[in-house]
Amino acid sequence: MQRPIRIALTKGRLEKDTVGMFEQLGLDCTAVREKGRKLILPVGDGSIEVVLAKANDVITYVEHGVCDLGVVGKDTILEMQGKFYELLDLGFGRCKFALAVKKGTDFYSGYGVKTIASKYPNVTRRFFEAKGMDVDIVKIEGSVELAPLLELSDGIVDIVETGTTLKENGLEVFEDVCPISARLIANTVSMKLRQQELEALISKIESYFANK
Amino acid sequence: MNKYDRITPEGTRDALFAECTLRRQIENRLNGLFTARGYSEIITPTLEFYDVFNRDAQPFPQEQMYKLTDAKGRLMVLRPDNTVPIARVCATRLRAAGLPLRLCYQQNIHVISPSLKGRDDEISQAGIELIGSDSRMADLEVVAAAIDALQACGEEYTLELGNAAFFRALMQQLSVSEELKETIRDCIEAKNYPALNDLLDTLPESDITKALRMLPRLFGGEEVFDKAAAICSGDAFRAILNELRSLWQAVTQFAGKERIKVDLGMMPRTDYYTGMILRGYLSGYGDEILSGGRYDNLIAEFGYDVPATGFAVNIDAVVKVLSKQAPVSPAAPQTSNVLIWAAKGCESEAVKAAQDLRAKGMVVEHSLTDTLEDAKKYAAAHGIATVLPIDISGTDCGKEV
Repeated sequence: MQRPIRIALTKGRLEKDTVGMFEQLGLDCTAVREKGRKLILPVGDGSIEVVLAKANDVITYVEHGVCDLGVVGKDTILEMQGKFYELLDLGFGRCKFALAVKKGTDFYSGYGVKTIASKYPNVTRRFFEAKGMDVDIVKIEGSVELAPLLELSDGIVDIVETGTTLKENGLEVFEDVCPISARLIANTVSMKLRQQELEALISKIESYFANK
Repeated sequence: MNKYDRITPEGTRDALFAECTLRRQIENRLNGLFTARGYSEIITPTLEFYDVFNRDAQPFPQEQMYKLTDAKGRLMVLRPDNTVPIARVCATRLRAAGLPLRLCYQQNIHVISPSLKGRDDEISQAGIELIGSDSRMADLEVVAAAIDALQACGEEYTLELGNAAFFRALMQQLSVSEELKETIRDCIEAKNYPALNDLLDTLPESDITKALRMLPRLFGGEEVFDKAAAICSGDAFRAILNELRSLWQAVTQFAGKERIKVDLGMMPRTDYYTGMILRGYLSGYGDEILSGGRYDNLIAEFGYDVPATGFAVNIDAVVKVLSKQAPVSPAAPQTSNVLIWAAKGCESEAVKAAQDLRAKGMVVEHSLTDTLEDAKKYAAAHGIATVLPIDISGTDCGKEV
């Protein structure tokens, strides 16, 4: 008997949205709702198992094939990259990457090399590389909005959802980088070796979105 | 202070005892299988000039190659691939040799993998290259060898066939920039349906864009061929599809349908493949174990225009899978049958006695202890059945030299 299909979920909002979707599909998620501190939980009739992980780890587990599927934000995919199939846009967790600056500043003015603070250095580097523009990138772990306020950087590249945090700190979106939403990813070998089981689940999810 | 003198570089490691045995077993099995098919081994240098791998199609990103310079300041790399150096040898020293050439190899490649991803930087590969024929029989021979190689590595294998030419055939009919073509290719290879749809939505809807949307979904068993035939009518596409189908049929005649799959959406960007592509998987490993295909233009890049096909098996991956299935104890060195203990002055006698026993096929170890008592304790602790003391038999024994 093969192990259940393992799905790695990004803890937090994406986890809740995915569980909501599973329940709409008729999968019993009681174990996930009442998980306590457990990290591996059965779903439905036991043919599916949910693994709760941090966003970056979802990609790592799927890449190595210890999880067959994963639900992770496009933001993490763009930052981490890697070898996996990106099967579906799940539609939830929608937001965007944007370049934000202090209100009223023209980011592109002047000759000086700009400094950008970001939690997503790879996304930032690629964005400016595509523009052929040299920038200094500073990696910040916490609230990135602080960097321009403290005059460490000229701008930030970060996830923007409603823009409220930016507004409250006197920043504004200067340019959109790209849209973000939750994605369903799959290990390349699992997709081949467990094609029927995975495709059955995936088409269930697809039809859920088609009827939504 | 030598900060790094007790660890191995990231992505490399020491292999001990049982793991080495397993590795050699797999290597020998594969080597036996290749030589039984008339393949001759060649060894190319670990160090090559950077230029060898700096090809037009950029299959080897420079940031993933280990680079160093020679005494003249020329840029060298640790070989990141085995097929390209073999193409170089074919186009140079083997140019005068008759075709076809059947070559096999068993050597390491080095790639800089992303940090902390748990991937190996040094990978041992065993593979074959069949050079000088673009016939169907050549493809079939290579696929049959690949199936045997997979079988030698595990029972739960899957072999997948594809063709690198599908993409080109479809793209020829689509007038978009090269850059956009490559992006579309990446989306298909990564089965990134949402991004692919977004990209194709920007183009006028046509049969080609419809076919491209379907391509990444076309993988599985025989049913794939009918689905593919239904979505695309282009002559070039049809021809490739029929060719792949007939290869698949030929292969399943001797290998059965269960383990032989197809994926029409297989289109690695960074490759020299021009026709058939194959990938092999073992259940329990999240990446491919075997990969290969037809590369008819690579050797021509070295100035010798001959078609070729081949594949390589990732030995490290196979070792990982097999040792997971039947865990090998991490510290189990080989045990001896006999421990020979020599009294002072009898050392030469002991060496002779050991030689005699080894000639009879025994594994014989010399005791390094001073007393016979300690030798017996050592034998008991290491599971050695017999202790043979040598002390009085030889004439020179006991005499101080």
